[in-house]
Amino acid sequence: MSTTTESPTRGAVAVVGVGSTAQGQFPGRSANEIAVEAIELALADAGLEKSDVDGLITCQNLRSRAGTDEQIGLLAGLNPAFSATLDYGTGNFSLHLAVMAVTSGLASTIVLCYGTNQRSAKADFGVAVGGGADFATLSGLVHVAGPAAMAFRRHQHLYGTTEEQLAHVAVAQREWAQRNPAAIFRDPLTVEDYLASPYLVAPLRRPDLTMISDGGAALVVTSADRARDRPKSPVYVLGMAEQTALRGDANPDNLTRPWLGDVAGRLWSSSGVRPDDVDLLYIQDATSVWVLQMLEWYGFCKLGEGGPFLAEGRTRPGGSLPVNTNGGQLSESYMWGWLHLCEAVRQLRGECGDRQVASPSIAVDCSSHDFLKGAASILSTHQ
Amino acid sequence: MTTDYAGPLPDTTDPLTGPHWAAARDGRLAAQCCARCGALRWQPAPICPECLQAGGDWVDLAGTGTIWSFAVYHRAMGPAFRDAVPYTVAMVELDEGPRMVGMLTDAADDGSDVTIGQRVRASYEPVTDDVTLVRWVRA
Ligand SMILES: [Zn+2]
Repeated sequence: MSTTTESPTRGAVAVVGVGSTAQGQFPGRSANEIAVEAIELALADAGLEKSDVDGLITCQNLRSRAGTDEQIGLLAGLNPAFSATLDYGTGNFSLHLAVMAVTSGLASTIVLCYGTNQRSAKADFGVAVGGGADFATLSGLVHVAGPAAMAFRRHQHLYGTTEEQLAHVAVAQREWAQRNPAAIFRDPLTVEDYLASPYLVAPLRRPDLTMISDGGAALVVTSADRARDRPKSPVYVLGMAEQTALRGDANPDNLTRPWLGDVAGRLWSSSGVRPDDVDLLYIQDATSVWVLQMLEWYGFCKLGEGGPFLAEGRTRPGGSLPVNTNGGQLSESYMWGWLHLCEAVRQLRGECGDRQVASPSIAVDCSSHDFLKGAASILSTHQ
Repeated sequence: MTTDYAGPLPDTTDPLTGPHWAAARDGRLAAQCCARCGALRWQPAPICPECLQAGGDWVDLAGTGTIWSFAVYHRAMGPAFRDAVPYTVAMVELDEGPRMVGMLTDAADDGSDVTIGQRVRASYEPVTDDVTLVRWVRA
């Protein structure tokens, strides 16, 4: 590994605890109760008490006020020195904020959490996403499936990518999920099954879209110095990068999200890590199309070659680049990428049983907030 | 006037978007152009995002463009579109530059006659006495 422009935060912060609740449908439980259950699990995993925590970062639910730091702090009985809420989901953005808070000295041990009852609460996902929602809604371009279908159609047009090639995203992740007892969808799924399933928004089918589920996840992060005293091996944050596309459709070809390439460029150059060094890859998968896009934008294959790359089985169990070894959101649970982070930590610790990848040392987690933001982190067993 | 339209409706009295809807009723496609820097923008916005000049002059566009991509809704992904499926939504690259999404109303049910790069033109579809929506058909 050659270090180029080394980030000042490289290896300075580690994940020392992860917690994930059961995933599925839990009527009668609030999003905040589920989040606090996840906090309890993560603290136990870290061997820490509530009183050890001086930072709290929470994640607000989609189209609901649930999950603010004020609500979670009250429910969990916490008066942290530092607290914040991000009002869009993904563990990566929360993790980056935690790294900033620890390295700046605002807090030393931070718990990050997300809980949702979006399935039981029947949260409405049939709305337009990204900027310019009003005109998209008038046109019937509702649900993330619509713009994702357009993005994949464009990929097909430019590069000849086939539906059969895209099928390998959902099929490979189902194979991983069959090895994950916590996953919601574990029934076999073959390419033939996939191609036989009806279109929802062509060219996308049901297996291409995340389910809607209830559940919670939490992480505990602290400084590398403190992390050495924890019972489980620390997982260090070696690199992180972000890029926004807040101008939405005014950005060139925004549905194909070329700005994810900017996240990748900064991620690799600030860490000295290269795609070839990566043992485990996690891609937040609201749709299968995001996996195809990010394999390319992050340089795991060339632009336009994601289809053949997937069809070669590289991302499956036993493949050269294990992707979403928890089953991802397509098969494990829809947790805005939080379970991807939990899984990366557990894999790096060697705790994953039947789906454990042999001796991994570097995991990369790539996430995005629809057509507006991207973020990625490098996690490692070594500092 | 057609009354069976079950989809969402815009507020045509909104001063920001009202001129667009008034133009659509007249069979014209209108968007804003910055009085200071000349940037053409879609969607409507109270400020030019290029030079931050407030306001904008409404100008008529040709109403023609090219399909950049499209999606075929076989299933209604929101309750307002239960009666509309199957339908096709296109991302149209206007000849003047900006991109605009809209239903492609002359597509086959399964979208099999639609391809990226096809030329399209705006079609003005009255759905209530007040509202005319901009749709697209192949040119
Ligand atoms: Zn201007």
